[in-house]
Amino acid sequence: MASAKAPANHFSVLYFAAASSFTSKNSEHLKAPLKASELFAALERQYPGFKEKVLNSCALTVNLQYVDLDEEGDRNITIQEGDEVAIIPPVSSG
Amino acid sequence: MFFAGFDEKIANLQAQIHTHETQLNSLKRQLATVEFEAAQSSIQQRPPTYPSTSSASHTAYENHDPHDMSFGFPEDWQAETLAALSASNPPALQRWPLGKEEYKRYGRQLIMPEVGLKGQLALKASKVLIVGAGGLGCPAAAYLAGAGVGTLGLVDGDTVEESNLHRQIMHGTGRVGMGKVNSAIVGLTSLNPNVKYVPHRAHLTAESSLDIVDQYDLVLDCTDNPASRYLISDTCVLLSKPLVSASALRTDGQLMVLNNPPRPPGDSSGGPCYRCVFPKPPPPESVTSCGEGGILGPVVGVMGVLQALEAIKIISSGSLKLGTSDKEMKNHTNGNSAKDSTAQPPSLLMFSAFSPQPFRTIRLRSRKLSCPACSAQATITSETLLSGSLDYVQFCGTTHPVQILNAKERISATEYAAVREEEVVLKEMSFAQPPGHVLVDVREKVQWELAALDGAINIPFSKIASTKVPIKADEMGSKTPNRVGVESEAFWLQELRSLPTDQTMFVVCRLGNDSQLAVRKFKELGLDHDGTRAIKDIQNGLLAWRRDVDTDFPDY
Repeated sequence: MASAKAPANHFSVLYFAAASSFTSKNSEHLKAPLKASELFAALERQYPGFKEKVLNSCALTVNLQYVDLDEEGDRNITIQEGDEVAIIPPVSSG
Repeated sequence: MFFAGFDEKIANLQAQIHTHETQLNSLKRQLATVEFEAAQSSIQQRPPTYPSTSSASHTAYENHDPHDMSFGFPEDWQAETLAALSASNPPALQRWPLGKEEYKRYGRQLIMPEVGLKGQLALKASKVLIVGAGGLGCPAAAYLAGAGVGTLGLVDGDTVEESNLHRQIMHGTGRVGMGKVNSAIVGLTSLNPNVKYVPHRAHLTAESSLDIVDQYDLVLDCTDNPASRYLISDTCVLLSKPLVSASALRTDGQLMVLNNPPRPPGDSSGGPCYRCVFPKPPPPESVTSCGEGGILGPVVGVMGVLQALEAIKIISSGSLKLGTSDKEMKNHTNGNSAKDSTAQPPSLLMFSAFSPQPFRTIRLRSRKLSCPACSAQATITSETLLSGSLDYVQFCGTTHPVQILNAKERISATEYAAVREEEVVLKEMSFAQPPGHVLVDVREKVQWELAALDGAINIPFSKIASTKVPIKADEMGSKTPNRVGVESEAFWLQELRSLPTDQTMFVVCRLGNDSQLAVRKFKELGLDHDGTRAIKDIQNGLLAWRRDVDTDFPDY
């Protein structure tokens, strides 16, 4: 995972499992600051179909903390410069 | 003439080898079945070996397993000792809390403060249910049996396949075709005959899950699909059982300890459930199985071993009320909530085998306020579960084989074999070269390298799928697809465009789904030259080729 430090005014996004397959990336840097509630829409613009096919069922974390986008408080979290965001799809096989 | 004798001898020997191999395989299967039956009958016949220190029924097995060269005392010696121990001395007068053999067997973990005598007695009194006897369930079961849990229940309706063996370590080559639960019990009995193994030889369903889970103290979710994961989680919440859930695919794994501490729905001090973390199931077409996506044995093994570890931590900490079904639990309101607070905060452990940072721990939230299973607003009850009004399969959606082409756009494997045959004949008979055809194999490169048909070219489906279709020609007022404004066209596309247009293009993949999508995409990209070139899908792909044309084509 290329989790190199994000450049100035950017944060890192890590893609796991199906999210990594969909974007063909393990990670990338996006422009900070960004509201948590706006992240999925921003990613959808970059990868059409991403939201429907992957993001809607994913867990989202910011700096290793679970973020619940159904809750008002969490939706208003601002992703800051240098933060590490992870997109975690449920893996169900075994 | 001289060599003819050799040919005959060779053929003769080959035939003999074949006959004996067939016979040998059949014998191995019979042996496995008898071993299993022996294990089963010893559960019923054998009196308790060790003084029972708890309510858990603890039954010993005879050492029947011929594979086990090291275990156990001579049978007559054991029987004598046991008679002296248990018949003449009532359990109350037992000198030591564990049997002699138990001190020896569990000695290496007994001397650890994390386990100790208390932890071992808790393990012995515990009943653990493992749902799924596959890549996760096998290593989890092995370590829990090894550690000496009292009762181990196994749920699975599948049979052992050859392609399971690289990761499902409690099965064996001789047990291919046997039920996974029976096969696992053969292996586990050899490992530790002192555990009571309970087979549940069918997949868990909404109708059966409450009855089965209620017989246990703790559950391990070792299944392989979203519907089972939601069902098991809901059942554990309803019955207040902690759940250790893990999964793995390709090089990645996930592990969570859920509903820990186990509390009834609406009690916000309980741990989150699977729905709290993943409220929406992934769309069915995006769900990849190990059969499709692949799995590395040690990756799923690591996850299963971690599940066993989490289970041992929970049990040996003494925080569980062991051997009580949920119904009894409700009468014991004295509880042990103080001890529950020792439960670690909920987390999701992610394992990425090929990452420079292979383990990451994510801190999870407590129960979700709107969770339909464990919150105060819960709508999932025992009644809804039993009535079948919760359709887990429907909730998670189902996929159907792709069927997007019409009959003219498809060809069977046998028909395609005839096309190849005919071209060879034509080439031999005339000087004029037939236009020939193109075979495009759209499997990913790694599969293509395993085996492919002669003359095929490989264009991985992932490349095709990620190629954008340019704006339609007529919208731009031109006959040919407009490529203005599109960055340089993908290399694979340029390559296909350069082929003679009188060649029919056939598209093949592993099973015949991706190839249909590829045919559609090729046409959208204008590779059919407005119908000049025929593009056809080979129905059911290499699966059909192997089945109907060339049985030697590798099955992987």
